[in-house]
Amino acid sequence: MTADERARLVEQTASAWRPRDRDGRVRAHPAWYDLDDTGRREAFEAAAGIRWIEASLDREGLSSTARAVLVRIGRDR
Amino acid sequence: MALDLDEIAAALALGDADAFAWWLARAEPALRRSLASFATHIDVESILQESLLRVWQVAARYQPDGKPNGLLRLAMRIAHNLAIDAVRRDRTGVRDFDDSDDANTPSIEPVEPDPLLRQAVERCHAELPDRPRAALEARVASGGASPDRALAEALGMRLNTFLQNVTRARQLLAACLERRGIRLDEVWR
Repeated sequence: MTADERARLVEQTASAWRPRDRDGRVRAHPAWYDLDDTGRREAFEAAAGIRWIEASLDREGLSSTARAVLVRIGRDR
Repeated sequence: MALDLDEIAAALALGDADAFAWWLARAEPALRRSLASFATHIDVESILQESLLRVWQVAARYQPDGKPNGLLRLAMRIAHNLAIDAVRRDRTGVRDFDDSDDANTPSIEPVEPDPLLRQAVERCHAELPDRPRAALEARVASGGASPDRALAEALGMRLNTFLQNVTRARQLLAACLERRGIRLDEVWR
C-alpha cells in the first residue's frame, strides 16, 4: 500500500458516515478493515480532532457524529 | 463546579430530542475518549454511534442514581460492552487485547464548550482556502448521512481530490490553531 492510499483510508475512516446492516445497526467503515494498527490509531485521533473542530463550528456544539445520531432518531433531517 | 449532565434527565424522560442534543454535545468527547484503548481492534466511530442510539432508546426510562453523570456512566457501559462484543466477534482482531485491563476503564469528564476555543476555530476556519473549506463543510453539512464519494460528486471533485482537500483542511486548521497556542491533538483528550 502506498502512503497516498493509506492516507485516503485514514481520511475515509475518520469521517462520520457509516454503513448500516439490514437491521439498521451501525457498521464499521469498509476502509477501516484495510488499515494496519498504526493507521487505525491515526484515524481514531484524526476523527477525535475533527469532531472537536466540527462541534466548535456548530451553533449547538454538535459534531457530525452527534448529527448522524440525531438524524437517526428523527430530530434532524 | 463540575458539570452534571443529568440535569436534563427530566426532559429526556419526556422524550425531548433537543435535550438529548444538549447531552450529546457535552458527552460525546468523553465517550469517544473512553473507547481510545479499542482503536486498533474496532472501528470506534461505528461503536460510538450505535451506543448513542441505544442511549436514546433507554433515556426516557433513565432514573438518576444521585451521583453525577449517571447517564454518561450508563452510556460508557453500553459503549464498552458493544466494543468488547465486537472484539470477541472478530477473534482474529483480539491479539493482545485484555478487557480486564484497568487502562480500559473510562474516566467521567463531560465538557462544556469553551467560547474562546470556539472563536479561535472560527477564525482559523475562515482562513481556509476555498476547496479545503468546501470539502470540510460538505462533511459537516451531511452530518454523516452521505459517503465521501457522494459528497465529492456533489462538489464536482474526484474522490481522491475530495479526501486530499479534507486532509489539507484538517492540517491547515491544526497549524492555524497551534499558532494560537492550541494543540488539536491535545484539546480532545
